[in-house]
Amino acid sequence: MNRVAITGFGVVSPVGSGRESFFRAMAEGRPGIAPISRFDASPLEVRLAGEVKDMPRIPEHAAAAAEEDPKVGFAYAAFEEAMKAAGIRRLSGGTILHLGTSLEIFDLAKIVAGGKAGLAGVSRPRGAGRPFQIPLDTASRIIRGAFGEPAWAYTNCSACAAGAQAIGHGFREVREGRAEAAVCGGFDSMINPLGVGGFQLLGALTTDNQRGAHACRPFDEDRSGTVLGEGAACFVLEPLDKAEAAGKEILAEICGYGSSLDAHGLSAPDPGGDGAIRAMKAALEDAGIGPSAIGHINTHGTGTRLNDEIEAAAIRAVFPGFESIPVAATKSMTGHLIGAAGAVELGACLLPLVLGVLPPNISLDRIAQGCDLMHVTEPGRRFDGEYALSNSFGFGGQNAALILRRRDGG
Amino acid sequence: MRRVVVTGIGMVTPLGATAAETASSFASGRAAAKSRLSDLEGTPLEASAAAVLPPFDPAARLQSRKMLKYMSGSALLGCIAAREAVESSGVKSRCRAERIGLFAGTGLAAADIGEVRRLIEGSTGENGSFSMRRFGENGLASTNPLISFHILANMPACLVSIMEGLKGPNYIFTPWEGQTGAALSEAVKAVASGEADAAVAGASDTPAHPAAFLHLWQAGLLGPGEFPASSAAYLVLEPEGSAPRSLGIVKEIRLGRGAKQRDPLADRMGRTFASAPAIYAALSCLAGLKASEISGCDGLSVMVDIEAAS
Repeated sequence: MNRVAITGFGVVSPVGSGRESFFRAMAEGRPGIAPISRFDASPLEVRLAGEVKDMPRIPEHAAAAAEEDPKVGFAYAAFEEAMKAAGIRRLSGGTILHLGTSLEIFDLAKIVAGGKAGLAGVSRPRGAGRPFQIPLDTASRIIRGAFGEPAWAYTNCSACAAGAQAIGHGFREVREGRAEAAVCGGFDSMINPLGVGGFQLLGALTTDNQRGAHACRPFDEDRSGTVLGEGAACFVLEPLDKAEAAGKEILAEICGYGSSLDAHGLSAPDPGGDGAIRAMKAALEDAGIGPSAIGHINTHGTGTRLNDEIEAAAIRAVFPGFESIPVAATKSMTGHLIGAAGAVELGACLLPLVLGVLPPNISLDRIAQGCDLMHVTEPGRRFDGEYALSNSFGFGGQNAALILRRRDGG
Repeated sequence: MRRVVVTGIGMVTPLGATAAETASSFASGRAAAKSRLSDLEGTPLEASAAAVLPPFDPAARLQSRKMLKYMSGSALLGCIAAREAVESSGVKSRCRAERIGLFAGTGLAAADIGEVRRLIEGSTGENGSFSMRRFGENGLASTNPLISFHILANMPACLVSIMEGLKGPNYIFTPWEGQTGAALSEAVKAVASGEADAAVAGASDTPAHPAAFLHLWQAGLLGPGEFPASSAAYLVLEPEGSAPRSLGIVKEIRLGRGAKQRDPLADRMGRTFASAPAIYAALSCLAGLKASEISGCDGLSVMVDIEAAS
């Protein structure tokens, strides 16, 4: 079994794109949530989102795809940064690519023709222009077209757990020696009329628009729903000994992964937090460590009434020493990146392990009843622990937990 | 590593509403019935036909009417096939829910076309084009509030976990054939390694949905003479010796890349896309199909080699 090192990290997020910019924003507690600018959201009840504002430059062919589906561009940019950081130029037959995401783009405007709704409106000659429906493997295809074919390319669609699952799978494949390297992560954008409108219908998003940058309030008494975000994060995972021998920069080790299903409801988590508890316990067992080893937790922390209280209870159930484990809720800054959330939040876990600084929950004024944990609310708090855990819980009841270990942890 | 066997199978395909019906029709040489889709009138596909599913009563098959409103067509087919597989295997009497994994493939998103039409009609402005103001004021209120659940790509499989009470390790992949191959491969790994005591693995896909059909045609993913077929197939996998019966022994599920080959079942059943590897695995057990490589439209392929139990 290999120990697995993170040798590359790339990120595009509402608080900053590129590793340095992202780390700086996370450390400072800079908000990325603002009124939606991508389209005119004024007729909607939900008018806030965490949009990417500093999209890195990407090649023309990827940019063209990103015009139709922005998340494709985010994936490309994060992938490219991660590969460059790891010093890898091309995907190879020993490498796997595993990207997670959630929802296909449908351009509603294209389904109207002559004032009538119908598929006749989107009918075009075969091969003429892009189809109105953009499959979820589009980013993978464009990346492979530019960087070569890996041994296999996975497209994971486990909603809010997709990014974490993709990384967990990549970790296992490298640890077991089935892959020489894994490039994995998540990408998403639901900031389009159907994405925002559809989730507004589900009642998952806050309509507390006047709170602006502080509308996503994980674990706060006044939380009223989450805010959609967008972005991507990619990681290059390689065997630790090979990375060391090659003199590569090693950001951290990834050492544990666990997944579970609630089998309870489509949007509401299991009220007892059973699925979340089992995912965290499975990750601890996979890492071969006990709960007392965990020094920091990046929560799923969505800012919805149900998730936060249930997650807090689940953390208290798994970690008897929870009162001394600092927890972050970075969706307070980025919003909920859905399929990208698990990957971007694992990136946020690198901040304390690499730079020794914890990211704060910037919108927590009063801890809600049932949400008692050791919340970090001020920027700049130092951290010197060895292990960090990141939670991701998806619509439909898919749960995933990942554990990172500090590079100099021994 | 433990040897893995198939202990339960469920299918809904154009050849039959159950695994037994599908296998029997396949063995007898029957081909799928086809029909044109009225929603495609006015499009270049108005004269084209898709495979037709045999009649079945969803509420009776799932013993639940309440959950149907949450289900897209793909979710419905997946839940019916998974129910048949789980019940026929008896796995729930042997394994705790926390030890049963779910590994699934899903296809292109396909919301109910009536819901999409209501949404669009409610969002069309006076000038005949999409109006954001009308969308916010009227369109959203005109459609099913659960429409996002019908589009999220993981939902067809998550509903399987909810309906069957599956709580173990899981992966859901999308949208083409090879990704279902990955699901089958991960299921075999989970059972062989002991991470799970059993796995429910398979896929559902509705390429005969009018929007999906149009997309597949426009993207050039349907070959000459090919027609789309909505379907689902699920298998229950367990370690050899743990169940009283075995329907087949998994010899190999191998992922690869290769030259595009014609879907070996397409002529008779139609192109089932994401469901194809799971159907092939099921028919390997029930109809003695030999090992075969199934090529996905994305260039990723899967070799399914399952030997029917004697």
